[in-house]
Amino acid sequence: MRLSREAWHDITRDTDWTPAYVTDAELFPEALSGAGKVPREKWHGWREDYRISYEEYVSVQREKEDAAYSVKAALQRSSVFDSLDEGWKSSAKAHHGATTLIEYLAVPVELKMSRFGLTGGWRNMAVLGALDEMRHAQLNLFFAHEFLAKDPQYDWAHKAYHTNEWAAIAGRALFDGFMASPSAVDVAIQLPFTFETGFTNLQFVALASDALGSGDINFANMISSIQTDEARHAQQGGPTLELLMEHDPERAQWLIDKTFWQSARLFAILTGPSMDYYTPLASREQSYKEFMQEWIVDQFVSSLDDYGLKKPWYWDEFMASLDTAHHALHLGVWFYRPTVWWKPNGGMSKDERAWLNEKYPDFDRQFGAIWDQIIANINAGNVGATLPQTLPWLCNLCQLPIGSATAPNCAAYPVQSYKLVHDGYPYYFCSDPCRQIWYRDRERLAGHQTVVERMLGGQIQPPDVPGLLAWMGITPETAGDDAHGLRWAADYATAPRPELALATV
Amino acid sequence: MSVVAEPAPVPVNALFAGDFITHLVVVMSDDTIDAAAAKVAALVVGSRVAVRDKPYVLRFEGVPVAGSRTVAEAGIVPLSEVFVSYAE
Repeated sequence: MRLSREAWHDITRDTDWTPAYVTDAELFPEALSGAGKVPREKWHGWREDYRISYEEYVSVQREKEDAAYSVKAALQRSSVFDSLDEGWKSSAKAHHGATTLIEYLAVPVELKMSRFGLTGGWRNMAVLGALDEMRHAQLNLFFAHEFLAKDPQYDWAHKAYHTNEWAAIAGRALFDGFMASPSAVDVAIQLPFTFETGFTNLQFVALASDALGSGDINFANMISSIQTDEARHAQQGGPTLELLMEHDPERAQWLIDKTFWQSARLFAILTGPSMDYYTPLASREQSYKEFMQEWIVDQFVSSLDDYGLKKPWYWDEFMASLDTAHHALHLGVWFYRPTVWWKPNGGMSKDERAWLNEKYPDFDRQFGAIWDQIIANINAGNVGATLPQTLPWLCNLCQLPIGSATAPNCAAYPVQSYKLVHDGYPYYFCSDPCRQIWYRDRERLAGHQTVVERMLGGQIQPPDVPGLLAWMGITPETAGDDAHGLRWAADYATAPRPELALATV
Repeated sequence: MSVVAEPAPVPVNALFAGDFITHLVVVMSDDTIDAAAAKVAALVVGSRVAVRDKPYVLRFEGVPVAGSRTVAEAGIVPLSEVFVSYAE
């Protein structure tokens, strides 16, 4: 007789044992498990809503795999890729490079929870999370590598995190910080609750929508399939947070606050330009700010309320940054375009600029003068003046340029370095939250060097832009350039433009 | 007998007014402040900030520094932060 699901489910999920040969503290060391102030027996009350069995998991995943790969196989015979806009392709390339190996990193991170999680149900859930993340890494790699013959930049889906490319270093600093090094409990708050529930789970929905709008059915298919896994394994965060809120709410608040800010910085450089600049104007569903307000801010604040948490201490700065940070980061990525593995669309045609000013009424006042100077140089044939000659100074926490959290003409948050002298050494930060997070975590972070510090320390030879590109692993065939050959600037030309050269430094 | 220090590179974190990020700029310890300001401006003016027919002012620790002083005399050391703008 086959038992009903209800009869066996809880036993298979939650079966645990009492160790006889080692102590509980040896089996679940504090540094790796991170129980903290939560009494040991309380973890046995940990419950998440999905409560899926391994058999059910395999069955559902097999269907998802069939669906994802059959759509891909059908599209392989079509010419859809050749008709995609170069700007949109850059959204996909930036995404592949920034996420593929992070999905792979998430495998041992989930396995850490599957070993050091403090109750059987959590450990079982994390095993499925590890299998999910392996699947995501494989999907990203397989989907990206299909296009290698057509565009070598897709190689960076695998290559990015094996290099010293500056955006990859920023990504490593973030993900190693909140995934690789913390305890299982801290990971559960920082990865499934804050990053996945707060950001990626929702972002993937928007990204799939923009992909469909841009005609990239393949990418939309891939990202939607991944998102359904994320929605499930992200549930590890909630029950862990409930226990922390009961026994150590201060720790919970700190973990969420610091992870939210750092995740927002990453989103500002990846998702912001993708939504407001790379996605073709006709295909844009929402501005980045509208997306963040609707999906991240409203939902996240609602989640915080549900758990009895406060808004992070930097909330006003975060909200102000939605008008500035991603515009500054886009300008930086575009100006430093030979240093990235995608082709950023300048996105400053008159129609695109009108859209930006409609969505961001202060856009021209904050950034217009800089773009006008760049446009004048392009239309005068002086493309060299739109390319980098030195490094931007980088934030000692997020590794992104100083100034890129604010805006040149923002009264409340203008461009400035947030300085901190620690043990006689001057550290610089892009924002007050980055400085405060760094100071509280200074024992772990004090030795981390920015690319600027690595150059000054002699690691980059010769210490110039060509030397930097070589050090970062950027080759001529993969160096970024403007997605549309600077044609958007022609809107402003008052005389026939000289022949424009491609980006060379 | 006085000892004169050899001129040495001084990497600074420099912002030019109106630009959107700060930059690594390497000045020399014996550069005059006017020369150091010009090195900062050369990376920005005409590139992201419009050219204007005005001299530059360099501020260090919030205070304008006389253009004839040297970087070393002004107390600017490696990893200092400087701010350059057009003189108004």
